[in-house]
Amino acid sequence: MTYERGLALCLVLEIALFASIGWNFFTAGNAGEIVRASAEIGLLALALTPVIVTGGIDLSVGSLLGLCAVVLGVTWRDAGWPIAVAASAAIVAGVVGGALNALLVARLGIPPLIVTLGTYSLFRGVAEGVTAGVRNYSDFPESFLFLGQGRIGVVPSQLVVLVAAAIAFWLLVHRMAAGRMLRAIGFSPDGARYAGLPVGRRLGGVYLLSGLCAGVASLLYVARLGQAKADAGTGFELMAITAVILGGTSIFGGRGSVGGTLLGLATLAVLQNGLRLADLPAELAGVVTAALLLAALGANRVLQGRTHELH
Amino acid sequence: MSLTTTHRRELSVAAAYGALLVALAVFAPTFYQGANLRDVLVGAAPVLVAAVGMTLVILARQIDISIGSQFAICAVVAGLLAKAGLTMPIAAAGALATGASLGALNGVLVAGFGLPAIVVTLATMVGLRETLRWATEGVWVQDLPPGFQWMGLGQDVGRFAIPGLALVVWALVAWGMRHLAAGRAVYATGSDAEVTRLTGGRPRRVVFAVFVAMGALTGLAALLSAIQFIDVQTGSGVGFELRVIAAVVVGGTSIAGGRGSLVGSLLGVLLLATAGPALTFLGSQAYWDRALQGVIILVAVAADAFGSATRLKARP
Repeated sequence: MTYERGLALCLVLEIALFASIGWNFFTAGNAGEIVRASAEIGLLALALTPVIVTGGIDLSVGSLLGLCAVVLGVTWRDAGWPIAVAASAAIVAGVVGGALNALLVARLGIPPLIVTLGTYSLFRGVAEGVTAGVRNYSDFPESFLFLGQGRIGVVPSQLVVLVAAAIAFWLLVHRMAAGRMLRAIGFSPDGARYAGLPVGRRLGGVYLLSGLCAGVASLLYVARLGQAKADAGTGFELMAITAVILGGTSIFGGRGSVGGTLLGLATLAVLQNGLRLADLPAELAGVVTAALLLAALGANRVLQGRTHELH
Repeated sequence: MSLTTTHRRELSVAAAYGALLVALAVFAPTFYQGANLRDVLVGAAPVLVAAVGMTLVILARQIDISIGSQFAICAVVAGLLAKAGLTMPIAAAGALATGASLGALNGVLVAGFGLPAIVVTLATMVGLRETLRWATEGVWVQDLPPGFQWMGLGQDVGRFAIPGLALVVWALVAWGMRHLAAGRAVYATGSDAEVTRLTGGRPRRVVFAVFVAMGALTGLAALLSAIQFIDVQTGSGVGFELRVIAAVVVGGTSIAGGRGSLVGSLLGVLLLATAGPALTFLGSQAYWDRALQGVIILVAVAADAFGSATRLKARP
């Protein structure tokens, strides 16, 4: 049995459990709610999959989401730009943030954990500085809020963005030569370099993509909640990383799948939603998530029969 | 080798810290008036104690991001023990023992089962935090006995005792890391665990031990923080792990293990703890504190990367 199938089975069992004990759980409306609540973290988790496949990590995505949300608010309300231009500015801010990570990781060769720890503080800090820590932007136009609150038929509008991103990342990781290179880099960066692969450019690329997704996710976040504040997306990086690891992607790099990430994301999102509807304590979600993460690590080791000495 | 080649990073962080202190003396001499500098040290003491543990963990080529959650649990345990009428030494021992057991849990998972530290401690970070929230339902520990705050020494003595105790812990561990076999074993494990094993070392035992030490020191840090306030908040310590890791990294300890020193970590803690208040005294707004912390981290590591690149090129 592959890891993904095992996880899919867990998800089906989880849904069956909540459908039997929860109120209004197994309905189309609630499915839409689950998608809505998890779309932003889903985008970040998709972007983190290729990052972690290269053996890297990006701790800055949640902070960058907050900074992009503030850029959207500042350019739209304070500078008076049209909402479409302001939204583009937020996405550009995400790409610039990603480019900073890319430069430090790929050009200077600083460990990604350290680089993104620094930018984790920097991005959130700039967002707090610009807004003086308290300013809150709201009253966005209806046309913009549609992105986060509207429906196309029965489909929540975020789902369109999430599905498009999922297809794009699936193509990148599983169907393109670039995706193979990412795996090679994850298994052995030196080996990949000796084989003539453009390691620096590929590494830079995944951090750029991660910044781009943080920018797009900031639009979904602001449109869903109707407000932009410096604390937007706090802790999202850890939830996104949890979804990726739960999805079977190895933290050491070289192994991972976009399908697994989506299953991991769904498992977490259903868990939180189901516990709430079943009137169980919300804290249980964190405890179960921790247990699932450790179980996922154990299962991966048993299935792959590969031990990692000490780190 | 001369001091400048062996302690490059420590010297450059010390120079940066010195420059900051001089800038404050010139542009904002009020910084040195009254209790301000002492308050900075009191606030930095818990971070220093935890940074001592984190230095050991990172030197052994591990990482622990669960210490923020451990911090909250230890503070609540200390508060509850004190409230139950137990004396201060017992409450302190309870906080340390709680921290050591939580550290042992990480240690068993990492050293015993060979699971990656970053994911294990991500799981315990989330799991421990939510368990605490579940157990306490978010209620703060209030009505603490008078002997708990400032260890019953009163505010004036307590404000010297807290940074003093932190410095004593730092000095003892710094000495041990240089002169005791156990200290050298941490460096050996972080440099190359396999070679350490083949030459008769016990890398797994070392890794387990550094996680236990990390937990116990987190317990002490939580205690030193809790006694500064009248309540124990259950939501304390969020983001504590990143502050501590940032201080250790700025101090020059390599995330790849085996390289770094506690002198560097002390300087890193002091630089990051002073930068925020200094910002206010130099006329900027406090909201930019976090951005400045980020810039300090990035400049420190980027300067290192630039430096090593030029040194490699200069080599014949």
